[in-house]
Amino acid sequence: MDTQSLILALGDATHAGRTFNVMPVAGDDPVLQIAVSGADETPVYLTVTESQILCLVYLFEESEIRASALPELHESMLRISVPMPLSALGKVENHYVVYGSLSPTSSQTEVMQELVTLADNAIDLLQTFEDFLE
Amino acid sequence: MKAVLKKLLTAMRGSVNELGEAVVDSQGSRILEQELRDSEHELKQAKNELAALMAEVASLNRQIKTESDSAESREQDARKALAAGQEELAREVAERIVGHERRKAELTQARVQLEERTRGLKDRVQKAEKQLAEYRRELQVVKTNERVLRTTAQIDTNINSNQSSLSTARETLERIRERQAREEDRQGARAQLEKELTGQDLDEKLKAAGIDAEQDSVNDVLARLKGDQPS
Repeated sequence: MDTQSLILALGDATHAGRTFNVMPVAGDDPVLQIAVSGADETPVYLTVTESQILCLVYLFEESEIRASALPELHESMLRISVPMPLSALGKVENHYVVYGSLSPTSSQTEVMQELVTLADNAIDLLQTFEDFLE
Repeated sequence: MKAVLKKLLTAMRGSVNELGEAVVDSQGSRILEQELRDSEHELKQAKNELAALMAEVASLNRQIKTESDSAESREQDARKALAAGQEELAREVAERIVGHERRKAELTQARVQLEERTRGLKDRVQKAEKQLAEYRRELQVVKTNERVLRTTAQIDTNINSNQSSLSTARETLERIRERQAREEDRQGARAQLEKELTGQDLDEKLKAAGIDAEQDSVNDVLARLKGDQPS
């Protein structure tokens, strides 16, 4: 599974009543921005490496969180990460992210399931953690 | 692995420079890749040596068996010679037997040494294989980290060139709420349309005005039943 074939496959695909708007992100590595219908506000970024298909959504920046609330936010994120379906919470540079990784041999259906779940989870998480924002 | 993870964490804490750009350390994986190649080379060599040693042991085993067999068959010859009263011939055969047994002892001694070396080499192979698996695991972590940093840097650059900046979580939440409100409105309108199409809305209005066809017929039936009764 590479990004080129994903662009072609996701373009006309429907999964659980959802469609996908795919845009390549310019740069050296193959990265896609994918908006899932009904969750367009939280685009999923996808990249394929030799060992995994990595999908991630930006939630918020560290600077957007009330400094005094950071420890409680971290505790909540760690706890909620385990039961959340197909996704985990993490931090890259100053971005808090929700992400999921799949085997590079995953089927198109599995990738679509991941994308839909991740975009929906991102919205639920944003609304859940809204109180921690500045 | 612990050392690699600690190094990564230290790098992550200080990896954003003043411009907020990711500093990717590609040196880390290059060193690991070299170590991996060295380890693979070492493993291949050790395995070749091991194969050669094992072949040598097998060959020694064959030679030992030959000497054993020869000694055994000469022993029968010697017994036959003695039985025939050929004392001199029996002595000659006995000398041969001694020769076979001496060679067998030498070969067995050589085999013991080879087996010792084989054990050492097997140990080396096992260690190299373990080291190799460890390097592969470390390399995967380092490479994935580099890739994630490069990917997010690429996404950030892209967002910054398409919009003035990354939208804040509050802005995103606002957009989500607007969409959810639109969806609710649409659902409400759909339900209203459904009622109009089935005439359910008119029934509700009549009921509200105290006009209820169903209730009226029940009352009619009751009145008739009452009328039938003899007073």
